[in-house]
Amino acid sequence: MKKIVALVLAAMMIVAVFASCGNSGETTSSGSADSGSTASSAESGTGFNVDVADFGEEKGATLKVWGPDAYVKLLKKQCDAFTKKFPDKGIKINVVAQGEDTAATNMLSDADAAADVFGFASDQLSRLVSAGVIAPVATKYAEAITASNLEAAVSASTLQNPKTKEDTLYAFPETGNGYYLVYDKSVVSDKDAGSLEAILADCKKAGKKFIMDAGNGYYSCVFAFTGGLKIDGLEDDGLTQKFNDYDEKQVVATLKAFSKLMHDYSGTFTSLDVANIASGFVSTGKKKSVCGAGIDGNWNSTPDQEALGDNFGATKLPTIEVNGKAQQMISMYGYKMIGVNNASKYPRTAQILAYYLSSEECQTQRCAELGWSPTNNTVVESDVAKKNVAISALVAQSEFSVAQVNIAQTFWDPMGNLGNKLIAEDTNPDKYDFTKLFKDTVSNIKDE
Amino acid sequence: MIKSYKLRRGLANTFIYILLAVLGIIWVSPLAYLVIQSFNTGKEQIPQTLLPMAYGFDNYIALFTNIGSLNFPRWYLNTFVVACFSCVISTISVLMVAYAFSRLRFKSRKKFINVGMILGMFPGFMTMIAIYYLLKAMGLTQTLVALVICYSAGAGLGFQISKGFFDTIPRALDEAATIDGANKNQIFWKIILPMSKPIVVYTVLTSFIGPWTDFILAKIIMGDARDNYTVAIGLQQMVSLEFKTRYFKQFLSGSVLVAVPVTILFLKMQSYYVEGVTAGGVKG
Repeated sequence: MKKIVALVLAAMMIVAVFASCGNSGETTSSGSADSGSTASSAESGTGFNVDVADFGEEKGATLKVWGPDAYVKLLKKQCDAFTKKFPDKGIKINVVAQGEDTAATNMLSDADAAADVFGFASDQLSRLVSAGVIAPVATKYAEAITASNLEAAVSASTLQNPKTKEDTLYAFPETGNGYYLVYDKSVVSDKDAGSLEAILADCKKAGKKFIMDAGNGYYSCVFAFTGGLKIDGLEDDGLTQKFNDYDEKQVVATLKAFSKLMHDYSGTFTSLDVANIASGFVSTGKKKSVCGAGIDGNWNSTPDQEALGDNFGATKLPTIEVNGKAQQMISMYGYKMIGVNNASKYPRTAQILAYYLSSEECQTQRCAELGWSPTNNTVVESDVAKKNVAISALVAQSEFSVAQVNIAQTFWDPMGNLGNKLIAEDTNPDKYDFTKLFKDTVSNIKDE
Repeated sequence: MIKSYKLRRGLANTFIYILLAVLGIIWVSPLAYLVIQSFNTGKEQIPQTLLPMAYGFDNYIALFTNIGSLNFPRWYLNTFVVACFSCVISTISVLMVAYAFSRLRFKSRKKFINVGMILGMFPGFMTMIAIYYLLKAMGLTQTLVALVICYSAGAGLGFQISKGFFDTIPRALDEAATIDGANKNQIFWKIILPMSKPIVVYTVLTSFIGPWTDFILAKIIMGDARDNYTVAIGLQQMVSLEFKTRYFKQFLSGSVLVAVPVTILFLKMQSYYVEGVTAGGVKG
């Protein structure tokens, strides 16, 4: 008996040793292979044009692709189309559902087991780059991507290479991601939707709520941004947040204006998770809808539209009156991107697939079928995008926004706290010391 | 000071009952909410009212028919299979280890018992990353086999309670069996086990419940292989940022269903369970 146990144990150890050797060998070899694909001429224009030579010697590649659940069906179709374009390469693509919000976490936990090509949200880019798990976009595609996509989207996908200290394009832009005003047209008129005061008055008159997730840093940064605060990258340590030269008096006055509105319309201005907006729009028989308007993200545009039907209205965020002047509300605007795994066994094929998925063709399909806002210049100008109310609203809002890149981990909680303080019942907007609140928030974000 | 004993007792009892009632309500209300809202068939995705406006089985039906990448029936089956296998394996190994420590006398037996105790003190998640890399080296990550191995391999360490129970069975029985020509193995299967129903049931219950409730280890091992998820990870997926707005009510009904097999098993074996816990604790 002892002998058998000893034998089994020894066999297991040997298997383990060999298996792990094999894995690590592959990782290193693929890492170096990918940076070499810089040769030959770059194709211009927004179309998808790839030289077959770009594949190098890769054949019979098997790729794993991550996409969020809503996109999986279309993604499979697009991947099929891709494999058909190169029939003699024998590419196999395995589409796996994986949310973009957790893509970086899953990439970082084990890059070998992760996808070769993956969709993720722009604020995860710095984590992916500093961990070295994301491969830079091959130079020849980088030029085409830069030329064919919105400037803001490209700059959001660009970060400093931690080794060479050069600005490098790390991801293929996929879609814009942000929030805007949604409203029930039977409660708020199109004209009133331009000003926060009018919206709140309309909602109060109809006995409905205005819902905004004011305690969540992602939304509550609107209060400070509207006052002129802006994000200006990170300090050299890569951790500490930098801000622009803002006018503190203006920011404080804006915060006060927001807080005053919240208290004047307490009961109407409600701080709830955005999921409550679509639910609040629903009215069934006896139960009437509870929500009149709200600040919601484009990922909820389908449930919002389903709940409201013809009464669905969407537009850029309204203005708010600060010291007698109407100020446009400024939002946080992020992107979803497509990245290539640095540990991919088929780096060239993965790059080409990612390039294809961010091309005009795929962006148009996503825009038409899923309502995803495009980043490709041609698609932005196309009828498909312009006819969609939610996309138009998002594009309109993107002009009044701060890009969701280079944001410190310490940004969100203090910002959320700021929002909570503004709306808190025991805050008296006429007496409260907003200057101190704002100074505390900034110093907490900077972790001083 | 109130003189009447009756009045005093009445007052004290009223106070105690009110307190207990309040505690009871606090304890039961989340469960009640879960069960009631799982029958909510309103149009809104996240319930807005404390009690649903409309009742029905829609959420349960959707859970088993509306299958996208969140495949609840598959997860249910996965968990059931894993639970059955690890239940059988770990029950046998726990009982065998306990029997060996209780009945056999061999060198460094005490030391082994102590080592077992000490190893049991370490929290399980301490070794999870190591387990993941070992499994990866063996090519077993993202498989259900890996889960069965993880849940049952270390089970033998939980021998203490069963050993305590075996210690209460008179040795005279073993001796009588030995005289009749039985070996140690036969004594275990034919004499000791039939007399230890309560402790067998207890071991079965604890090892069956494990896979239904474990989250962290399963999450680490399964990664992005959604088809191999167990119910615990699957349900968490349903309330993640991506799915919350569409799957919240299905999450509620899924949570109710998870309780079903465990509850059935528990009700069937309840009387043994109490006996097992108390009997095992008599002698250490």
